[in-house]
Formats: sequence, C-alpha cells, structure tokens
Amino acid sequence: MLVYIAKRVALFGLMLFGLVCITFIISNIAPADPAALAAGPDASRSQIEQVRREYGLDRPLPEQFARYVAGLARGDLGRSVSTSRDVTSELLRYFPASLELVLVAMLLGIAIGVPLGMISALHKDGWIDHATRIFAVSGIALPPFWFGLLLQLVFAVQMGWLPTSGRLSLMTIPPEPITGMLLADSLLRGQWSTFAEAASFTVLPAVVLSLPCLASILRVNRAEMVEALRADYVMCARAHGVAPWRIVAVHALRNAMLPTLAIIGLRYGWMMSGTVLVETVFDWPGIGLYAVNSAIASDFKPVMGVTLLIGLNFMIANLVVDLLYGVLDPRLREA
Amino acid sequence: MTGSNISRRGLMQGATALVAATTAASPAISFEREGNRKVLVFSGGQPVPILDPHVRYDWSTRMMQQATHDALFKYVGNPPELVPWLAESHQISADGLTYTFRIVGNARFHNGDPLDAEAVRFSFERGLRINKGVAWMFKDFVKPENIRAVDARTVEFKLERAFAPFMSYLPWWYIVNPKQVMANQQDGDWGQKWLTDHEAGSGPFKVRRWDAQSIMHLEAVADYWKGWPMGADKRLAGVIYRVVREPAPRKAALQRREVDVITELTPDDFDQLKTIPGVRLEDHPGMTSFGIKFNCQRQPTADRNLRKAIAHAFDYEALLQIHNGAARLQTSPFPHAVRGHIDVPGVPRRDMDKAREFLRQSGTPNGGIELEYVHVQGLEDPRRIGLALLNSLQPLNIRVRITGQPWPTMVQRGSKPDTAPDMTSVYVTPLSTDPDTVAYQYHRASWGLYYGMSHYQNEEVWRLVDQARAETNWDRRAAMYAEVQRKIVDDQPEIFGMMANRRWAMRDYVKDFRFSPVRFTGEVDLYTMWIDA
Repeated sequence: MLVYIAKRVALFGLMLFGLVCITFIISNIAPADPAALAAGPDASRSQIEQVRREYGLDRPLPEQFARYVAGLARGDLGRSVSTSRDVTSELLRYFPASLELVLVAMLLGIAIGVPLGMISALHKDGWIDHATRIFAVSGIALPPFWFGLLLQLVFAVQMGWLPTSGRLSLMTIPPEPITGMLLADSLLRGQWSTFAEAASFTVLPAVVLSLPCLASILRVNRAEMVEALRADYVMCARAHGVAPWRIVAVHALRNAMLPTLAIIGLRYGWMMSGTVLVETVFDWPGIGLYAVNSAIASDFKPVMGVTLLIGLNFMIANLVVDLLYGVLDPRLREA
Repeated sequence: MTGSNISRRGLMQGATALVAATTAASPAISFEREGNRKVLVFSGGQPVPILDPHVRYDWSTRMMQQATHDALFKYVGNPPELVPWLAESHQISADGLTYTFRIVGNARFHNGDPLDAEAVRFSFERGLRINKGVAWMFKDFVKPENIRAVDARTVEFKLERAFAPFMSYLPWWYIVNPKQVMANQQDGDWGQKWLTDHEAGSGPFKVRRWDAQSIMHLEAVADYWKGWPMGADKRLAGVIYRVVREPAPRKAALQRREVDVITELTPDDFDQLKTIPGVRLEDHPGMTSFGIKFNCQRQPTADRNLRKAIAHAFDYEALLQIHNGAARLQTSPFPHAVRGHIDVPGVPRRDMDKAREFLRQSGTPNGGIELEYVHVQGLEDPRRIGLALLNSLQPLNIRVRITGQPWPTMVQRGSKPDTAPDMTSVYVTPLSTDPDTVAYQYHRASWGLYYGMSHYQNEEVWRLVDQARAETNWDRRAAMYAEVQRKIVDDQPEIFGMMANRRWAMRDYVKDFRFSPVRFTGEVDLYTMWIDA
C-alpha cells in the first residue's frame, strides 16, 4: 500500500512539472507586456524598464524558468507584477474561500445526487426517472455564468430572499480565521449569527457550482444502480429474503458507489476550476476571482499559481479516490 | 352571482395586496449604519491592488488615494478649478523656475503627527526616487535634491527649466507621513511593500479594513483638519468600496440597496435604471477623448490628403448613436474641459464631396486600397466604431480590415512607425486640465507611446509646444495653443472623435455628488458626499 502511494506521489511530481512547463510556455507566448501594464499607461520607457528589472522580466526566458522552478521548490510562486505581493501568500489567503465553496457544492451534489440517482434507478423509466433525466441534462448544459446571473435576479432582486454577492454583509466582521473558511470558523468560534449569514451568502454560488456535479453524480449513480440491481448477487439476496432496503442501500449501493466515487473525484477538480466563473458572478473572493483579476492585468505569476494549485487539487482528489476504492472494494486491496 | 363577483373581487384585492407586500418587502436592506451615522457603499468593477500614491494610479486606485491623502492642491468642480489644499499660498518666481509653497498650519496625519514642509519634501522625493506611477510628470523638471523644506511651513521647488504645467499636476502628488513610511521600510524600498495596503496620509478618511479584491472599508476622520463641508453632524461614519466585478450583479446590488452608488454601467443598464424609483442618474460630459490615429509615417496614411479624405467621409453621427447619444463630438484635438480649448473652424464633419476631392488629390485617387483598423480586443464600442468606419469608406472604394488585439500588443505595435497600424482607435484621458498635457501628445517625444502612435510630424507644432510649456504668461500661452490646435486639425494625424459621458447611478438619498471631468472615468470625490435619509 505504502509503495503504491509513494509511486503515485512520484508520478504527481512529474505531472506537476509538466504542468509548470506548459503554463510557463503559454503565459510567455501570450503577446502581452505585464511590465508595461503594471507601470501604467503614461509611464515612460525608463519606468517600464525599471518594473521589468524589478521583477526579473528582463532576464532570458530559460533563466526566468529556472528561477521559477527553483522558487517552486521552496514553495515560492513568485511575485505578482500588478499587486507586488507574493503569490504564495495570496493563494493561502484566497484558497480557503474557494475550498469552502467547492466543499459545500460537493456536499450538495452528493447529498442530492446519490439519493436521486438511487430513486431514479428504482423507478427506471418511470416519471421520476424522466424528470431527473431532464434535470440532469439541463444541469450539465446550463452555462454557470448565465445561470448565476439568473438566480441573482430571481432570489436577490425579485424575491429579496438572499444577498446578491459577496461572502458576508459589509459591516459584519468575519471571525478570527482558523481554517479561513467562514462557515467552519464561525461554528468553531460559536458565532451562530455569523454562521447563518455566511450560509445565506453561500447558497446561490454553491447551487450554481454544484449543479453540473450533481447532475453527473445523479446520472452515473443511476446507471450503476440499474446495473447493480440486475446483478446475480442482488437476485440471490432477494431469494434469501434480505430486506429490500438492505439490498438497495447496502449491497447494490456499495457496488454502484465505485464509479460514482471516481466521478466525485473528477468533479472536485472541475469545480475548483469552475470557481473562476462562479466567483466572478458572485464576487466570491477566492482563487477564481484572483485568477480573473490577474489575467486581466496580464499578470502571469498569479495565473500560473492558480493553475498549479487547481492541478494539484485534481491530483490529490484522484489519489484520495484511488485509496477509497481500496476501502470500498476489497479485491483492489489485495492487488 | 353577486356573491361570486364579490368574492372574485376580494380575491383580486387579496392578490394585489400580496404582490404589493412582496414587492415592498423586496428592497429589504437600506444603507449601512454605524451608531447613528451612515456608511456610504460605492461599487465598481475594478480592484485597488496597490494603494501607495506614488506607485500606481487608475480610477479606483486614485479614488481611494484621494480619500485617504491630501495634496498641495485639489481639483474641484466643473470646469475643474485648482483649489489650494495643503498649500495655503504660493509664489512663482518671474523666471518660472522657483515655486514656493506655504503649508497650512493645522494639517495632521492620521496618527497625529503634524504635516509639515519636510513631509511635503519627503513625499516628492519618494515619488521621484521610486520612479513609478506619478513620477513621469516631474522627473525631467525637478531633481529631488532641489526640493527644500525652508522652514516648518515653507517648501521650495527649483525646476531644471521652466515648466508652466507644473501646478496642474500637483493635485496628484499625495503627501505621506515620512516617519511612518520609513519606520516600515524593508530593504530600502521606501516603504513600498507596506504602503501596498496601508496608508500614511492626512486625508478625510483612514483605512479600517482592506481587502483589495473585494471590500475596502474607510473610516471618516472625525476631526479632519479641513473640516466637513456637510457639517460635522451629517458627515458619514465611513465609506466602503465594494468590488463587484460584473455589471449585472452591480446593478442588482443597487436595486436591492446593498450599495448606494455604482459606476461602470453599460448603456443598456443605464437606460433601464432610469425607470427604477429611488435611483438617481448622473450623466456628465467627460474628458476622455476617443480618436482614430493614423500612421503618419508609413504609406498610404502618410498621405495627408488621404487622411483628410477619410476624416471627411467618416460618419460622426455613428459615434453618438453607439453611445445612445451620451457623448460629445470633439471640435479640436483638445477636449472641451482643457484650458485654452478652441472650436477649431473647419474641423471635419461628414462631407462626401470634400472627401472625394481630397481623395482625388491623394496618391490613391481611385481608392482601391485596404487599411487596417485596430482596436482593443473585447471592447465593444471601438469595434462598432470600426464597422461605422468600414461603412463610411466604402463609397471611396477603401476597404477596412478590423482587427482586435490585446492592449499590450496594440501598444507594442504602435511603438514604431514600421509596425504601427494604419489606423488605431485609442482612448486618452488627460491627467490635468493644462493644455500641455494634450498638446505634448503630438510632440516628437511622445512617438511610440500609446497616444503617440500616429508618429505625427510637424516641426512647427513641436516648437510651439516646447515654447508654450516654458512660457509663464497665460495669454501668450493660450495664443500658442490656439495655433497648435489649428495646425494639428489641418494636418489631420487622426480622426478627432468624441468624448463619452461619465456615468454613475446612485440612490436618491446620496447627496452632494460633485462631478469634475479631470477625475478618471468612475472616480468620485468621496469627501463631499453624505446620506440624507
């Protein structure tokens, strides 16, 4: 088992390095001059050159790359040209907000997707199954940007039930950070009203972010359940007179969960990158918004940092899924 | 029958009441409060990554810098007036080389330190030595060692050579507290790292909470040395600048009263907000000019007659239509709010006979050429203006190839005559109301900068511009600038376009919004504003 994990981690290292190479090349092919943008529209040549020197952008590309990789080894992702701050500390500051959103969205996706998938499978080709199919297809097809704006219009402007955007009311002082995730921190600090407020701000972005995830979990879980319910061991269990709920919830679901788990792992990564769109609509101060603001300023270090972080998340999620596979499927443990 | 009628009416009334109740309930939130004072919430789409007044400026950044700092002078009103602020009085020597300012006696920094002549001297030295942001305004004219704090309340600048626009840039040089800045210096950075999200100013507001990407909360300084124009009892508790990236949620937040003032509106959003009760719109002629720069050094547009032909064929009405009428055509290379602006006689308007006449005299009398028009990728207005240009030039048998490029690429191409496009659309916001700010864009020294992409050449104009910036007598300067404007129009280095309106939407309880065109697009002066409700 340990050897297996070690192998995977080593593979990650390689994959991350590949990702670093690709992001570095892409950001340097882009025909933009971050120094000129940072120096401002009226800056003279000497001012632009000074910014270029200060950020090492005047060095040859191989040297810049070597420096960047050397920095990465120390956990230093470089300095943003537009904000002059360290990318690493900015990411540490913004990542918990994104993680919180993704986790809530993920919970929503699992909590609704898995049972709905089960029910659809049990009523295969019934009206519930058709209804969830329509729901799932539209869930994947809806552009999150547009869907977010729509929800804002309906629930914030028309109904007035939920706030339009942000993470907390303007005058509310956020709890002292422990995890950086407001829901967790307010609970840990026992600030119930702050928790309720933070929750109300989380609802709309989390729903938008979770929809594609929910839809794919639902569809995969349904298909696997249908498959499992037809299997010999289910028939055998029936013949043995095992309680029907036990057949569905324990025997069939456990087998159907394997591919579902893979989808959850993948979706976690997708949702991390989905924050770019959702956070922009809801002004959620996470890594997605940070990436957008930086990209607009042709500020590549933060964009590369966010890309790496999302890539890392993808890989970790996959590793966790692989390990969970072992837990759920004893055959894999021995292999 | 009667009974059923009544009940139906009752039902209708009930439904109406229900609808009324829900609509009345929907703007549930009102302005933010703190104790018995109010907090004004302003929202735009642009963050404020660096607060340091000597490192960076753009509209949102400068709005926050202005709120937290003071300068020797301040631009106020429309037309903008240079009002003494930290400078109580000033003297200019006859040769225009020595400027002496007397500093007010009661100004204090937020930490209580007195603001004296040394702080002023230090701030200018810092700006010049860092050589970023505002430095370009003065670095060819003032050496840091020639700025002197004569005594606690007198500061003296000795210029390298006469520079008439000197005073007009002073409002953008904010004064910082030397003690605080140097106490937070790291590796000789003049406190740059610290001032990224801190301030050491003396302005009407001080920073309470700073998250450059989302919420910046400023707290009003109760005993601000200059006092509060609305009276101490009505002044705000503070101001929050909330970044809302997209225009649609920003508009939604105003409708829901989550925010009190918004800017960066689309023309359609602006028109929709007209019908919303409780919302007031501010719509003012701006100072940012839109022009289409010709490449004056490379054929075919190096041909003045061709440029004239194009300028007379262009559909200027389209410029106004694209902005739903909220724009004003330029009548000179200078925007209207710039001092010394004249309406130049014969500034081109659409006249196809003249256009054909000029084309006949050009090197391509029958057209048959294709010209490239470049605009910033993703900007909708310049793209539509490109289409209008394409239509306008069809009768002259001139084709237009419209290209969208990222801003940095466009600037890179425009930096040399060989690579500068035939026509480039550019917005330019002058940094001061002094005519030199605009006139110098047509000088040889501006070649290659984004506003100098036309690589305009006229030695006579260059000489006049040089002369005028060194001239101390205004009447003589004004005459020179009138001549400069006429000559530039005659040479037609660009299609003189329009100035789009600056726009804000605010709740009607927001009082004393004071527009000044010399501020940037979305920038407002937060000092005068308050909430009456």
